[in-house]
Amino acid sequence: MKWMPLAATAALLTMLTVPQAFADKLDDIIASGVLRCAVVLDFPPMGSRDANNNPVGFDVDTCTDLAAALGVTPEFVETPFPDRIPALVSGRADVGVASTSDTLERAKTIGFSIPYFAFTNVVLTRTDAGIADYEGLKGKKLGSVAGTFEAILLEDDMKTWGSTSTFQGYQSQADVFQALSQGQIDATVVTSTVAFATIASGNFNNLAIAGDAPYPIDYVSLIGLRTEYGLLNYLNLFVNQQIRSGRYQELYNKHVGEGDAPDLLIPGAYY
Amino acid sequence: MFNYTFHWRPALQALPQMLQGTLVTLQLAILSMIIGVAFGVVLALMRQSKNPLIHFPATVWVEVARNTPALLQIYMAYFGLGQLGIRLDSFVALLIGITFNNAGYLAETFRGGLRAIPQTQTRAARSLGFGAYQAFTLIVLPQLFRVVFHPMTNQMVWAILMTSLGVVVGLNTDLTGVVQDLNVRTFRTFEYFAIAAVLYYLIAKFVTLGARLLAWRLFRY
Amino acid sequence: MFQTAFSLNDLWFMAQGAGWTLLITAIAMVGGTVLGLVFGVTRAVLPGWTTLPLGFFLDIFRSVPLLIQLILANSFIPILGFRASPFAVSCIVLALYTSSYCSEIVRGGVQAVPQTTRRAARSLGMTWWQDMTEIVYPMALRVMLPSWIGLTLGVMKDTALVGWIGVIELLKSSQILITRMQNEPLFILIIAGVIYFLISFPISRLGARLESRFREND
Repeated sequence: MKWMPLAATAALLTMLTVPQAFADKLDDIIASGVLRCAVVLDFPPMGSRDANNNPVGFDVDTCTDLAAALGVTPEFVETPFPDRIPALVSGRADVGVASTSDTLERAKTIGFSIPYFAFTNVVLTRTDAGIADYEGLKGKKLGSVAGTFEAILLEDDMKTWGSTSTFQGYQSQADVFQALSQGQIDATVVTSTVAFATIASGNFNNLAIAGDAPYPIDYVSLIGLRTEYGLLNYLNLFVNQQIRSGRYQELYNKHVGEGDAPDLLIPGAYY
Repeated sequence: MFNYTFHWRPALQALPQMLQGTLVTLQLAILSMIIGVAFGVVLALMRQSKNPLIHFPATVWVEVARNTPALLQIYMAYFGLGQLGIRLDSFVALLIGITFNNAGYLAETFRGGLRAIPQTQTRAARSLGFGAYQAFTLIVLPQLFRVVFHPMTNQMVWAILMTSLGVVVGLNTDLTGVVQDLNVRTFRTFEYFAIAAVLYYLIAKFVTLGARLLAWRLFRY
Repeated sequence: MFQTAFSLNDLWFMAQGAGWTLLITAIAMVGGTVLGLVFGVTRAVLPGWTTLPLGFFLDIFRSVPLLIQLILANSFIPILGFRASPFAVSCIVLALYTSSYCSEIVRGGVQAVPQTTRRAARSLGMTWWQDMTEIVYPMALRVMLPSWIGLTLGVMKDTALVGWIGVIELLKSSQILITRMQNEPLFILIIAGVIYFLISFPISRLGARLESRFREND
């Protein structure tokens, strides 16, 4: 009989410890009380820094909403574009709220939620570069953020053009605008919202939009680790609720401008 | 322990692209060394001058090159000069950045080397009828390179390692640039960069070995 | 040119970045010097072939670009299941990187002490430990110190690379400011350069003075 307390203790310990071993990312976030979001802060109006160098933007507010829904405090981990996914895989961030295009190549490494925003792409050029539209890019010095949706499409088109155009892949959106403004490159392809916001910022007076880029709509998703189904399910519902509650439209008007937020339904397809 | 499965097969398939990048890396390092040595010798001589107009610019170059990060120098060559309207290609900007850095360090090496060659050598040469230029190029310089050969080899390895910084100014043809491009498309950071690390190691060893053979060939009695 | 959006607030932001630069340098130098002493003395004292594996291991840190070492460590440490902040990763990588160079300096310093001097010490009845601490250490120190100061400065400048993995040190802080004030990169980069120079230059002068003083007494 004197074994009973010991056995009971052992059983209790097992009960206490075993479920913890199966705690997933979602549980970890709730338990830690902090949601660490990977955000890109050189991509206005999605993410940037204000005059006090604090993070602001659509993505930053979305992360704050997500943290509020989870009942935890948000923490922003600034990542340049190429570092978004490494930041997740390496455990420096829990989710990426970073305008990540949902490509099949990337889905081999990370998990995507349903789209939470959609971009169209435009040609951004210098006023003195003599480029009027997308066709005018042939034979010019072009550049974009390495590895992004638009960079990959642009590079593919350049291969079919087969002309003497060159491509530079930069590590951040800020570097692309800098190089474009200074003249190291003549044009870039960039999401329309960012192009408008950058021109509106007044930082550059020599940049102009030269028509749309003929690319499919660039749907972007929240990202989490590929294996964290619990978290990914939660993210899906969160995106759905943002749209349902009108918060999506509200954030659009706050950060991007007047009008209707982009439709996130893919016509004629299930997600 | 492993929450991550390595994808080595696609990474190894990209090896030919990486080897192509390796050639660009070597090309950059060699060019930056050749130009760097030329500037380094000139800077070392300028710093020996008593005339402040000659002495001062050389001192500024050497001190700035040695007391600020190479990454800052490269960034400056691309975006800093760009603001002044000097538009450089990523390749050229990187080359200028590394060469600026190399020349600064080599100038100090050469200055030390010049001190090791006795003044009497030059005097002896001059009294044998050599001109000042002849005495320097035929007597001093060959001995100088012998003294500084080992530090120069080190600088060459440094130059190779520094070429990896080109990626910050949009260079996507050198080894790091190629690998970073592959990385951002697939996000298989570890696999690609591990292969890059092996390649850099091999380049560095190859260069060191080459320098040893060269030294043996040039400097044996 | 002199109309700038750069504020005192931004200068403070860069000063904080410089603080991280100095902190990482200090940690890397302390860790790297301790490890470097151990590795360097081991390599100087034991017969050559026994320390070949150690030599090979240390050589890797000098033959692979630091940027790639940082990227690899930053992706590999989490794969192993450890959670490390970019700051911790930077300190670990830089300490190992420093130890690799430091061990060469130590080895060179120890080997610069003439064998005859050390034999004389032992013949006078000194123990191996006494020989190391009373004879080798003071003599080697004069050879090592200038190089060690040079190494410190080198590491300080190399910390500029940790911005890549997300530590907001001096150079990264200036890049963040450039992102916000995109029309004045030159001005901001010059400020960053001046801060680096102000930290580095006095120490490098000190190193040069020490070196020439040691040479006078030779």
